[in-house]
Amino acid sequence: METRAVELLRRLVSIPSLSGREQEASRFLAEWLERQGARAFVDEAGSAVGQFGSGPREILLLGHIDTFPGHIPVRIEGNILHGRGSVDAKGPLCAFAAAAGEVEIPDRWKITVVGAVEEECATSKGARHIVAQRKKAGATPFCCLIGEPSHWDRLTLGYKGRLLAEINLCAPLAHSGGPEMLPAEKGVELWRLISDGCRARNEQNGASSPFECLSPSLRSIRSRDDDCYGHVTLSLGFRLPAWESPEELRSDLADWLRDWKPVFPADRMEAESRTEGSPEPKLEIFLSGDEVCWKGNKSNPLVQSFLAAIRQSGGQPRFVLKTGTSDLNVLGPAFPQMPIAAYGPGDSSLDHTPDECLDLSEYQRSIEILKEVLKKLMLSSAV
Amino acid sequence: MAMDPECPECAAAVPLSPETLVGEIVTCPDCGMELEVTQVNPAVLQAAPEEEEDWGE
Repeated sequence: METRAVELLRRLVSIPSLSGREQEASRFLAEWLERQGARAFVDEAGSAVGQFGSGPREILLLGHIDTFPGHIPVRIEGNILHGRGSVDAKGPLCAFAAAAGEVEIPDRWKITVVGAVEEECATSKGARHIVAQRKKAGATPFCCLIGEPSHWDRLTLGYKGRLLAEINLCAPLAHSGGPEMLPAEKGVELWRLISDGCRARNEQNGASSPFECLSPSLRSIRSRDDDCYGHVTLSLGFRLPAWESPEELRSDLADWLRDWKPVFPADRMEAESRTEGSPEPKLEIFLSGDEVCWKGNKSNPLVQSFLAAIRQSGGQPRFVLKTGTSDLNVLGPAFPQMPIAAYGPGDSSLDHTPDECLDLSEYQRSIEILKEVLKKLMLSSAV
Repeated sequence: MAMDPECPECAAAVPLSPETLVGEIVTCPDCGMELEVTQVNPAVLQAAPEEEEDWGE
């Protein structure tokens, strides 16, 4: 017989919820939370919110309700639930919701479950709204758990930062038999300069592991010609270590590409207002999606509760640092003293793949861990 | 609770407060190793879990 928690997960995964189109999923989750006894609603950002208890100390459980694109038929085969978002990250979000609805909450406490919108599209609109509300109220949560897959016995302490760059190059066409680089070749040269620059910065900083490295990726490169000019667009992503902020990377890009005289328009309108048709190569760099690297510390009640709960359950707890970026990069810097980590069932190597699926035994086990963690947090004598 | 359990790495005494809980992470004052309190009464320390790295979210 399907448990209530598995039913919640199966039904939520069955509701498509691309970034920006989460309304039906948020309504569904809010209604489910309300039936479990929470004060539940869809907030101004569109996130599902459910509050259990009403005390001043808040445990914030923030997962994301939007998913990466791509349809995978939702089905349960054996003990495995297949479907987009099953791992990233409705599995962790539903585990939060199920656990919060099953623990007794002392008077001083409340547990807030959030199904946040727009984590996948890099705006993190839902998480930013939660931050803004709490800042306005002057209320820092006691601790925060971000819903992302870590496996049931592992706690994610940190994520790398991020910066997205769209580089538009406009250069005069040249004869392909001549010595001058063609615009598309100049685009490739730009990528080489940038990746060489990142490599040099990594060496300067003694970066020896993926989490410590400044990591560029070329997501796409497109080119087209018009009468006299070639137009090349490079779409890049950068994963940032702790030693490189988005502002520092902007400065590095300006330095690496200085011979190309890059400009950094604040937005498209500013770019379009400048004169076109210059004979010189034009290089515009649009930056977005900036997040700093964040790593939570280990000496706090949140980590203590997890280690104790996992061992109590017969597991060997582990810590992990992820090379991706999540809403932890929003909540962590916003409240730097607040204990924060990410947790949830599932294998993150299945994120964004056609094979995304979740072992329901692991899902159930993570709910038990979460319930134990919540109990320990709320009853800890250290509080 | 038996105070001052030994560091498993260097055998130094690691002072713990009476309120120390199972699962806490402490640091050996001598060798600097991160340690996890896996038992209290008596207190037992073992090396804290190492930090793995993984890709994705």
